[in-house]
Amino acid sequence: MNANVMQFSRVFWSSAVIAKKALFSWLNPSLWLMQLFTMSLFQIAMFWYIAQYVNPGQSLDYIIVGNAMQSIAYVAVFAVTNITGEEKESGTLPAVLVTPANRFAMFVGKAMFQVLNSMATVAVAFFYAIVVFGLDFSSVDLLTLAVVIAVTCFATVGFGLMLSSMGFYLRTTMVLANIFLFMGLLFCGVNFPVSDLPEFLQPISYAIPMTYGTDAARMAVEGASLTDPAIMSLLGSELLVAAVAVLIGYAIMLAFERLARRKGTLEMF
Amino acid sequence: MPRLRAMTASFRQQAFHFLSAPSWLIPNIIAPFVITMVVLLMYQEVTGPAILYAVLGGGMMGMWGNTLYASGYSIQSERWWGTIEAVLVVPSSLIWIIAGRTIWNALIGVVNGLLVLVIAVVAFGVPMDIADPFMFIVSFLMTMFSLAALGLLFSSAFVLTRQAGVLTNGLEFPIYVASGCLFPIILLPGWAHPLSMSLAPTWGIDAIREAAGFSPEDSIWATVLGASPDAGFILLDLAMVALLAIVYIAVAVILFRVVEKQARLTGELGRV
Repeated sequence: MNANVMQFSRVFWSSAVIAKKALFSWLNPSLWLMQLFTMSLFQIAMFWYIAQYVNPGQSLDYIIVGNAMQSIAYVAVFAVTNITGEEKESGTLPAVLVTPANRFAMFVGKAMFQVLNSMATVAVAFFYAIVVFGLDFSSVDLLTLAVVIAVTCFATVGFGLMLSSMGFYLRTTMVLANIFLFMGLLFCGVNFPVSDLPEFLQPISYAIPMTYGTDAARMAVEGASLTDPAIMSLLGSELLVAAVAVLIGYAIMLAFERLARRKGTLEMF
Repeated sequence: MPRLRAMTASFRQQAFHFLSAPSWLIPNIIAPFVITMVVLLMYQEVTGPAILYAVLGGGMMGMWGNTLYASGYSIQSERWWGTIEAVLVVPSSLIWIIAGRTIWNALIGVVNGLLVLVIAVVAFGVPMDIADPFMFIVSFLMTMFSLAALGLLFSSAFVLTRQAGVLTNGLEFPIYVASGCLFPIILLPGWAHPLSMSLAPTWGIDAIREAAGFSPEDSIWATVLGASPDAGFILLDLAMVALLAIVYIAVAVILFRVVEKQARLTGELGRV
């Protein structure tokens, strides 16, 4: 039992370290910083200006917080979804899969750097939210907001891993990554409440962890504490949805791996 | 004549690439489509022309998104496939090869734009009452031409970097903001106006909106003149589109020469 846990931890850690090294071996750190500091700024600006044009004079805090949270999609959804696709395009997926290492530890480990990256992205987004867009931060409960951000980053990366598992079978994950990168804007209550969506679309919103995260972040900015039952319920639901997504992703990964081996499509892209 | 032949062959090659994997249309269209849907849901309490304003902006974003992605990935894909050196050593200058691809991409961009328009109109029942259909089509086509020129300019810059994909993703929202696709650029801070006005699509969407029947008070000319113009400025908009397109092409020609030389000197063109 102990040996298994140790081996799991070792694979998890080495995958996390390799993923970080691999990222910076092709991505110039200055470009990474540029992404970190510009993505959220322009996403918030886009909807901030639209909202100003549509409803001049109304408070824009709803949109600012929603987009600050949603800015992690580039990292937690787009980058994580592409993990398997990139292995395939680099020609390394078969080599990775013939190792006896635990698949779950390996792929969750690969996504871990993106959790940290997501947290940095949201922190920068909230900086812009306050300094550039004038978010009212006077009543914020900082501890609650920090916990909400951390939970949302883990949960969204978990959701990204579920999407990534489909890369074992699909020719490319890029299409899927692009779809879900922007779907959050529509489904997760970022710019308008989920209740504004047609009723038949609302279940999709509640199957995405970000929906709970954006609501919880708004409550934290308004001063709700961690002991607030509404916050606890939102964070609990978010973690539950993320855990289900990771488990579904793992099941899909195993099934698609078998299917791809049988059909000989593991290297097809 | 050999240059034209190279351009035509490159156009055909790009078409075959597209037809072999048309699902690549999805990444180009998804952002403009989703953002248009989001804006229409934000506009729920607003009716009439404001909705058409958003839909036309979404169409323009569709064309924009395609130009950006296609120009970024047309070079990057050659790197991944290991064929970029072969493309550079052929006797035709790189600009003619990229031009053929860019023209195909601009055509697909128009399909993107029209798809966003049609889906938004069908899904939200937006009435497409176009005041001047002839000028609307002319504006659409001229904007397409200017986007092809801009794609050429972007491509020249992307030749030198192996991170064109990252730059492409990073430029998407800044360009949507700067071109005022979904809101008048007068809302932007004053220092950003020259940047917006240096983008042909800013003038293109202005012309398209005027042809659709929008009053000139939200026009880019209101920003330029500081007051609402008395009459439409559609021809001036289109003149600006043409002028900027010519400037983009001229700069692209110079840049391609520099970039080709630089790529041969450093020998790092194929570095993935």
